[in-house]
Amino acid sequence: MKFLLRLFCALACSLTLSHAFAAEDETPRQTLARAILAENAATKRTILGSLVGRADEEVGELLVAWRQDALFIYTTPDNTRIPVRLIGPADAAGTHAAVRVIDGEPLTDAAGAPLRLDKGDLESVDHNANLRRAMKAVLDLIDLGAALPAKRIQAIKTIGQSQDAEKLPAIQARLEIETDKNAIVALREARALIMLKSAKDEDRLEALRELKEVHTLSSTDFIKGALSDAQRRNHTQLTNAARAALNAVDLHRAKVDFFGTLFRSLSLGSILLIVALGLAITFGLMGVINMAHGEMIAIGAYTTYVVQNIFGSGLALSPFGISLSLPGINSSGWVYQSYFIVALPLSFLCAAFVGILLERSVIQFLYRRPLESLLATWGVSLILQQILRLTFGANNVQVSSPIYLSGNWTVNDILFGWNRVFVICFAGLIVFGVYLVLTRTSLGLLIRAVMQNRGMAACMGVRTTRVNMLTFGLGSGLAGLAGAFLSQIGNVGPSLGQSYIVDSFMVVVVGGVGNLVGTVISGLGIGSLDQFIQQYSPALASAFATVPFVGGFLQNLAQDSAVFGKILVLCGIILFLQWRPAGLFVTRTRSLD
Amino acid sequence: MITKFGKLLGVGALALGALLGTARAADTVKVGVLHSLSGTMAISETSLRDVLLFTFDEINAAGGIKVGGKSYKIEPVVVDGASNWPLFAEKAKQLLEQDKVAVTFGCWTSVSRKSVLPVFEKNNGLLFYPVQYEGEEESQNVAYTAEAVNQQATPAVDYLLEQGYTKFYLLGSDYVYPQTTNLVLLEYLLSKGVPIENIGGGFRKDESGKIISAGKYTPFGHTDYQQIVAEIKQFAAGGGAAVISTLNGDTNVPFFKEYAASGLTADTCPVVSFSISEDEFRGLPADQLVGQLGCWTYFQSINTPANKKFVSDFKAWLAKSTVPGIVKEGRVTCSPMVLSYNGVYLWKAAVEKAGTFDVDAVREAWKSGISFDGPAGKVTTQPNMHLTKNVYIGETKSDGQFKILQSFDNVYGEPWLKGKFK
Repeated sequence: MKFLLRLFCALACSLTLSHAFAAEDETPRQTLARAILAENAATKRTILGSLVGRADEEVGELLVAWRQDALFIYTTPDNTRIPVRLIGPADAAGTHAAVRVIDGEPLTDAAGAPLRLDKGDLESVDHNANLRRAMKAVLDLIDLGAALPAKRIQAIKTIGQSQDAEKLPAIQARLEIETDKNAIVALREARALIMLKSAKDEDRLEALRELKEVHTLSSTDFIKGALSDAQRRNHTQLTNAARAALNAVDLHRAKVDFFGTLFRSLSLGSILLIVALGLAITFGLMGVINMAHGEMIAIGAYTTYVVQNIFGSGLALSPFGISLSLPGINSSGWVYQSYFIVALPLSFLCAAFVGILLERSVIQFLYRRPLESLLATWGVSLILQQILRLTFGANNVQVSSPIYLSGNWTVNDILFGWNRVFVICFAGLIVFGVYLVLTRTSLGLLIRAVMQNRGMAACMGVRTTRVNMLTFGLGSGLAGLAGAFLSQIGNVGPSLGQSYIVDSFMVVVVGGVGNLVGTVISGLGIGSLDQFIQQYSPALASAFATVPFVGGFLQNLAQDSAVFGKILVLCGIILFLQWRPAGLFVTRTRSLD
Repeated sequence: MITKFGKLLGVGALALGALLGTARAADTVKVGVLHSLSGTMAISETSLRDVLLFTFDEINAAGGIKVGGKSYKIEPVVVDGASNWPLFAEKAKQLLEQDKVAVTFGCWTSVSRKSVLPVFEKNNGLLFYPVQYEGEEESQNVAYTAEAVNQQATPAVDYLLEQGYTKFYLLGSDYVYPQTTNLVLLEYLLSKGVPIENIGGGFRKDESGKIISAGKYTPFGHTDYQQIVAEIKQFAAGGGAAVISTLNGDTNVPFFKEYAASGLTADTCPVVSFSISEDEFRGLPADQLVGQLGCWTYFQSINTPANKKFVSDFKAWLAKSTVPGIVKEGRVTCSPMVLSYNGVYLWKAAVEKAGTFDVDAVREAWKSGISFDGPAGKVTTQPNMHLTKNVYIGETKSDGQFKILQSFDNVYGEPWLKGKFK
């Protein structure tokens, strides 16, 4: 009996095994269906492995669906298990149309009528990490022919990094027809990486020469591996080739680091500039030490949040226990994505409105008393924070980035994030706009006149109260714009303004109070200083490593380079203000005395 | 004469009152709840207060704690630590010396725990601590229901190694938990044969060349992650790289926004975060975190009847709760909450086993090994004041929940890990 059982088991095993491999005349879809129905994960993996190189885009889509839990097993009344994919939206009963994995035909009942299925009634098709990797191997080869270059490049890189000699022909074939410049580089790198694993030294030399030519950052680890291998074998030729390749990559990396840092400096500088520009007007021009500037930024950010929700599914708020429900327009696609464009002017207007209220209610009484204005606006800032907390809750709120702000261009390995490019252009635009308003409009003329000498301007018939109000509104509105932008890169919470108020004052004071050009230069300057210190502090530390005391100190700081950058910048500013207490550009007007 | 009689009457009334008072007090036991209900930590800690009150109500409704043939109802004493570490010690003193609580459930940050520790040791109190922590501590006055490093960080690394990742970038907020955890992880990775040049983020060494800090650190409230993400992008360019993040709280938002904008994804370079649970997710852009990894001893998505009952009971309790200011919408359950819940039941079991509320007896009962079947499966107390429990690795989904990828059963809580992996 026992023997019979064993025999039976052995037979069953050999059957499943032969079943797993005998797949010559199957279509890829059939293979996939078989993989789904296979008993255990190991068999599934083996079957999926047989799909590599055979699968077409259709099967690729099904694999993606599998990964996203959209494949199910339908059991017919006579207990046949059929793998299906649910498609289309759910109807009122919560059912979807179903398509058979095996041939792509709609699933029908015995009478031939299409069946609609509810997810809850079906057996879901599970997957684990190992299966997902097997799927990825199949998908990568499919993606080699993908229409999108980015997708193609990703697939090429993964194949190259797997260093699997069996995939070399696929890479070769693609290289012959590839037209995209970046993809060609990736293909050459992939080919070289695979050849680097070759047993023959000539192949490796050739590979290293190729890697030197393409000098991609992603090949660093592989070249290092080859270098240590060659050194261990005392192979001079290979060692030299690997060294040369590594040098080429390092040179490239130095360029990438430098220009990358330059770009990041510009973007951080632009953020500082946008944040400080409003303050340059309220504090710089008007002389009000406006501690509530940060809250104007927060108001702009929350306006963006509200607009986003109105474009989405609405928003329920309960300020001070009054429940308030804003209806949403439930848009999607590009209409929804454009919420940010709508949010920009609205956040300007909201912050400007609050600014004008603040000016009318508090600040107009304090123009000649800067210290009192400091205390009063600080109080206002606490009140505003609390109002935000009571309205929107103490937790941070979610602002999602529209598609056009969450991607990047990669030119020569240097990353240009779209949101960063946007902030730089945006900063340029508003600085230019403010410049035009101040110098080319009659309002600007009045603003400048009133700010230079309030009394004299009033004597000349300028309605100074109105100009004060509008100027403060302009400054606050600019802060609101900054808030709208900051919602794209960081947190939106009631204390958002607190984290930027110090930076804002720093930029305005260093630039020279009352001078817009100074603000621009100091914003960009402080941003660059911070980024360059962050980037180069490890290099700096290792350069001074042998110097006693200083070396160790620098090395300790280099690891926390983010903090280190900030500390050094602040020290630099303190020293700078000792030397030039009035900032970069000194403005001499009677009103500022 | 009359005054004397009056005095006598007064004394008699007082004595009667005291007698009645003790008679009534005998039916309840005071239990301290010490969490920040205001300040920066309130976002996380308020949820723990909520779940504790829920658990007390659940136990009271089921008849309370049975000691010596009597049943005691739990009477919570809730105090606010206000995210102020010295205040935590003050409040702990108040709980132990004035309110004379039998046990305290509380603290979130390691610094608050360190701050109350001397108070609990001096008064021989008992604190139940529910949040993942760095280890290197084993007080007789603390019951660590929290995840030790080997119940969160090292299983996560095991998982990544098994997935074929070979390079690890360590990133964290600059305070004691990430610093200690990363040092342990460094030793662990090296012991697993990962070469030191494959560990990113940088090292800090003392004069003798010994590594005293591993990984990249940013302060609380840091917003500019451009440089760090660019570094990670280069680190991950060759493939096989993962980020191990102990970034805390809201700095995760600018980090993940920058990470997503740079074109990194969970497929090319996954991030495993030890401080993001379902509860933290409520303030994060979930759509940018899809596919990233988390490792906890509980996920809300655990598909067992016990967990489903726990989640629905908690939500039902929330709906009719009258606690002032309690948030009722969009609530989730997460690991620290379940560890608080388990803690209360384990304490109840220990008290019932010991037959007294006396801290020394309860501690002995804990050390003897008590089990409780919680929402995340069985947990068992250990002689070293920690817990044996299941550990789960999960992948984040766009709805803010985790899909469980792998589980490790009955992991023994080990606080002393530094120098253990060679």
